[in-house]
Amino acid sequence: MKAARDRAPPRRGASLLWFQGLLCGALIAVSISTALLLAALLLPGLAAVLLDREPGRPVARTVLLFGVAASAAPFTRYWESAHTIDAALGIIGDPMALGIAWLAAGFGWALTEFAPVAARLVLEAADRRRIVQLKAERTAYEEEWGLPPQEPAGD
Amino acid sequence: MAKPGGSAETLIAEQYAVDLARPLPDAGAGLPAYAAIDRRGGAAPLMAVQARSGAPLRARMIAALSGTGIEGLCAPVTCGPAPGPDGRMALFVICQAPPGPRLDATRPWSEAVVIDEVLRPVATALDRLQGRHVTHRGIRPNNLFRAVNGGPVTLGAAWAGPPAALQPALFEPPYSACCHPAGRGDGAIADDVYALAVTLIVLALGRNPLHGLDDEAILQRKLELGSHAALLGTERLPPLLGDLVRGMLAEDPDHRPTPILLTQPSVARSRRVATRPPRRAQWPFETGGTEVWNARGLARVIAHDPSQGAQLLRNGAVGNWLRRSLGDAAAATRIEDVVPAHADAAAGGPTGESLAVMRAAAVLDPLAPLFWHGRALWPDGIGPLLVAAAQPGPGGAADAAALEELISTEAAASWAALRAERCDVALVRQEARQNRMWLRLSGLEGGMPRLCYTLNPLLPCSSPLLDGQTVVRLPDLVPALERAAARPEARRLNAVDRDIAAFIAARSDTNLAHELVGLGNGSGEGRMAMARLRLLAQLQDRFRCPPCPTLARWVTEECVAPPNEWRNRTRRRQMHERLDALIAAGWLPALVELVDDAQAREADKAGLRHAEEAVRAIDAELAALATGAGRRTAAARRLGHEIAAGGGLTAVVAAMALLCLA
Repeated sequence: MKAARDRAPPRRGASLLWFQGLLCGALIAVSISTALLLAALLLPGLAAVLLDREPGRPVARTVLLFGVAASAAPFTRYWESAHTIDAALGIIGDPMALGIAWLAAGFGWALTEFAPVAARLVLEAADRRRIVQLKAERTAYEEEWGLPPQEPAGD
Repeated sequence: MAKPGGSAETLIAEQYAVDLARPLPDAGAGLPAYAAIDRRGGAAPLMAVQARSGAPLRARMIAALSGTGIEGLCAPVTCGPAPGPDGRMALFVICQAPPGPRLDATRPWSEAVVIDEVLRPVATALDRLQGRHVTHRGIRPNNLFRAVNGGPVTLGAAWAGPPAALQPALFEPPYSACCHPAGRGDGAIADDVYALAVTLIVLALGRNPLHGLDDEAILQRKLELGSHAALLGTERLPPLLGDLVRGMLAEDPDHRPTPILLTQPSVARSRRVATRPPRRAQWPFETGGTEVWNARGLARVIAHDPSQGAQLLRNGAVGNWLRRSLGDAAAATRIEDVVPAHADAAAGGPTGESLAVMRAAAVLDPLAPLFWHGRALWPDGIGPLLVAAAQPGPGGAADAAALEELISTEAAASWAALRAERCDVALVRQEARQNRMWLRLSGLEGGMPRLCYTLNPLLPCSSPLLDGQTVVRLPDLVPALERAAARPEARRLNAVDRDIAAFIAARSDTNLAHELVGLGNGSGEGRMAMARLRLLAQLQDRFRCPPCPTLARWVTEECVAPPNEWRNRTRRRQMHERLDALIAAGWLPALVELVDDAQAREADKAGLRHAEEAVRAIDAELAALATGAGRRTAAARRLGHEIAAGGGLTAVVAAMALLCLA
């Protein structure tokens, strides 16, 4: 019993990783060309998955989503062809297709970097407006009821 | 309240005009008197008798006799304050004017005239007075008046001062003559009979039989010889008059004929009660160079000096003399019964000595008044005596202290218990307890001022605030204060001082008790000022006094705290604006409603609490905003990532849609 209690519970991330590995292995086994094409088109996203250690991987999530959106057209073209290794390599060799996919992924990365900054600017503006409103309310109370003014913050 | 009515004429009670330019010499029997006219058309000639300062009017007599129109009596009509001939306010008693000059006592009057024109009409008037349970106490030749063409005499006024205060010792029984002039009390109708008897003697003889003797010598002579022998000695009166006078001068008032009996002199003569002269001792009692031969004299001697008297009681000298010389063992035993305990207690203080001497004097002379610290008085004379003691002059403070002690020890009740057959013990005890209660009452409404005003219902308020004004009735107080408020020096004091509070307490009913208690309970100046405002407002409302803007401002300045107690500044500003308007209107009850609105005050406090809570919440939120940079950064990052993810998802959907369309 004591040994069972001391045994660590299985980690959800590890099983997910194991499931992803199994999925990738199955994909390679079933269609190596498809796996190759997807790996090339979504390379920035996959790299972001590996590099992003933040909970929920927000950067990787956005980069992958934008990568998927940009990869949809070349992948459809590959899928409508004979979806052979040659077709995959042909699309991979097309700088336009690969460039668009990677640019989209880059745009996603840039969005995850700049959206928080913009959000912070918006939130700070809202807080400043709230502070002005609260101080006005306080001044009104002070004048109406003869209450002492707010003590200045300590040095 | 008097109003100026002209250059030399003043109005009393809005009806009676006093012509100060027409003085009536001798009509006031020792007090200044002036002609008076009833403005509403009364036909009877009137006069106004001016009271002396510090001599309270006889309120009960004036109330009982006002408007009665007793024949043969200058009955009082009303009384009130008015400016005197010197311009200062004084109290006047309006009464019927005498029909002619006072009696001429410088020539002997015949027996028939004395009986028919003096004795009968005066006895008739006294009978009417007795029917109303009042006394005159001012019968003497210079207070009897007769028309120029003869006829029955008329009794003069005796209402503008304490009872018998102006009576010389000659006309008073010994037990009254030995008292302070202000402390003789109302007495009984028998005392008027005594004074009438002396008057008859003076008129019949055409002179004062004791001319040349001062009051003290007259008193000693009466005590030593008895009144009849002291006054007449070897003088002879006509037989009927002589027999009547003998009965009327009986030492015991119960033995004197009643006024109704005196209206029939022959009947009164036949019913005369034989009285024994006071028992005379075999040898005198000597102390301090004084010799006394009877118990009455001894009572007065020991009472005159309580310290020495107590010593004589303790060493048995009094008892021995009573047994061996006077042969009155019963009196000696009774003194030993009532005195020892007090005499022992007296070893430590003058109060015990005075109690012992008072008891001994009451046993020795049941007719005697109450002796206290060498002073003689009747319990119903305490009121005027308190006023006399309060007047500036030597001995006033000592008299006041002695009276205060007399009241606080309820000595009058002890005194009455020793002579139960001669007074209503229960009544005297009740009055003594009531006086003590008023004296001990704490706060502004109690103490000696309260006693003074309660026991003298027509005593003017002596507050220094009312300088130059005479306020006798409560309805006149607020207008008088309104005039006083115009003086800057008065405005430096409180509008209701100790005298005014005591005056109001004495003249009002119990409805004002709460406000009176609030005047001096030490609950803070603000609350006391509010109590003053409420008190004056109630007076103004109750008596429908005219508007008093100056007084309103004065009292409101004292109450400056109440508007400032309002925390809501808008409300406070409105309060000040309304206050100014109400002050200008001069209606105090409205002012009270404004500054004493408990509901609005509670709402103000609730509003303050709500404001404080709101400010605390604001401060907390401001503090959170000031220290929330980290939280804000995290939120911005989280939000930015969500936006980016949302953008990515949108891109995927858009791409799929484009593919489908293509």
